[in-house]
Amino acid sequence: MIGLSDYLIVAAALFSLGVIGLFLNRKNVINILMCIELMLLAVNINMVAFSHYLNDLAGQIFVFFVLTVAASEVAVGLAILVAFYRTRRSVGTEDINSLQG
Amino acid sequence: MANVTFPFPFPEHLSSLMPEMFVAVIAMALLLLDLFIPREKKCITAYIAIATASVAALLCVSVNPAEPLVGFYGFFVLDQFAVFAKVLICLATALAMVLSVQYMKDLENVGEYYVLMLFAMLGMMLMSSANNFIVMYLGLELMALCIYVLVGYQRDILRSNEAALKYFILGALSSCMLLYGVTFLYGVTGSFDFVTIGKGLADAGSSSHTAVMLGLVFIIAGLAFKVSMAPFHMWTPDAYEGAPTPVTAFMSVAPKVAGFVIFIRILDQAMPALQHEYTMILSAIAVLTMAVGNLAAIAQRNIKRMLAYSTVGHVGFVMLGLIAANDDGYAGILVYMSIYLFMTMGAFAIIIIMQREGIQGELLDDFSGLSKARPGYALAMGLMLFSLAGIPFLGGFWAKYAVFIAAVEAGHVYLVLYALLFSAVGAFYYIRLVKYIYFDDARVQFNFSESRLMQLTVVLMAIAVVALGVYPDPLMDLCKSAVAAMI
Repeated sequence: MIGLSDYLIVAAALFSLGVIGLFLNRKNVINILMCIELMLLAVNINMVAFSHYLNDLAGQIFVFFVLTVAASEVAVGLAILVAFYRTRRSVGTEDINSLQG
Repeated sequence: MANVTFPFPFPEHLSSLMPEMFVAVIAMALLLLDLFIPREKKCITAYIAIATASVAALLCVSVNPAEPLVGFYGFFVLDQFAVFAKVLICLATALAMVLSVQYMKDLENVGEYYVLMLFAMLGMMLMSSANNFIVMYLGLELMALCIYVLVGYQRDILRSNEAALKYFILGALSSCMLLYGVTFLYGVTGSFDFVTIGKGLADAGSSSHTAVMLGLVFIIAGLAFKVSMAPFHMWTPDAYEGAPTPVTAFMSVAPKVAGFVIFIRILDQAMPALQHEYTMILSAIAVLTMAVGNLAAIAQRNIKRMLAYSTVGHVGFVMLGLIAANDDGYAGILVYMSIYLFMTMGAFAIIIIMQREGIQGELLDDFSGLSKARPGYALAMGLMLFSLAGIPFLGGFWAKYAVFIAAVEAGHVYLVLYALLFSAVGAFYYIRLVKYIYFDDARVQFNFSESRLMQLTVVLMAIAVVALGVYPDPLMDLCKSAVAAMI
């Protein structure tokens, strides 16, 4: 029988993978966007699991809002990345280095 | 088949949403209208946007309720506290747009810039009225998505792009952390409503202790990112330096107001049962924030970076009001934010006047000898810096006084002593800039990009800082009554 805690463990694992990927990633910004998406999906799994467990719809409604906002967030992120690529000619994380101090 | 009734008290609830609806409609109309305004007359868009923000502030005052009003099935709350915050947000947005007119006029597609500012303002207004995590999240994201774009608005300048990218990545991370925390509170209490969560947490047994703590920590971490508390402030200096200067002015005031308002609502309504725990976490963060902000600012040579760290330092002081967790503390936060608005906008107005071709004129050295070239600007900048440093009988002094006294009364004496120590450290780097302005010889040829509007803004901000320094009582009373009428 798969219980609430199993879902929470999966979500926690996904969320941690996202955070680890975000900080250990040394290659490029697209990976970072994927990590952010992973974290949001972990949030959604948590939300739906609790919603089912509590027999309450609000959690699933929130998931729809999170999905919508996540889509627009990625759109804005990619737009910024394209603008960055045009001036820097790279999407590598090691090239994001002109502001320091 | 359930009997469907409409318990929707339509008119009065809808009218409480008047300012937000007004801003949303005008912003969307302006987006279309902008297409028909020729490129050399884009300042028309700017003036319409400024007028919209000002009218929105008036509308907020006009819907000011005597009693807190909860509408839209508990999603939306309108009380004097929210109204005060919204007026501050509208004012900050209007001022930031006034500062933008001259600075952004050579940019292509400048019309959307003002529309984005209006939408960011709308997001912050919704945030201040949120009574539910769903509304809070939507307002927060509307604000954040607009500001990511605004930071990267100078598309052909590398540092603007880079600032936007860094801000976006860390901002998205912070939203995820906030949401992850919210899921745990939902799991324990079965609701997203602040008040219901508050009741649920008070009844929650020890079996759900881990989940509640996870929720608390992640929510505080997520919000701490948004108001740049250390150690979540890493994005602040980069985003402030790279963003167009009017956007820097905007994001150093308005999102901080909205962030602290929602912080107060969540801590006060959803988490009163966890006061012991959140006081400990916030005290640790405040200690770190004050130290990092004020010490790192000393090492900066770029004034926008210095003001970024100074913002972090100020956020540390404002946190004393959150830690005090009483009406005086929350009123202190409102006082601090109002006065901080005038000081920061004034300082940034002068920085923008000093700037040429977008990025020059922002090293501290560039301010050398300003007093001989333009004594008026030098005096105004000096006033702003002394006020930021908290010198008595300027506005900034009373801002600090309000939160420090509240924290002492709540029994956090050592924390306030620590804060006093770091406000003395903070005075050092503000007054160092005054030394450059008054006692050093000019190193660059001054070449101001000034306009009547900018000069008027500088004068008004200087008058506000001095007037609030001499006679702060009306503002303090207003903030106290706004907090007393909080839901």
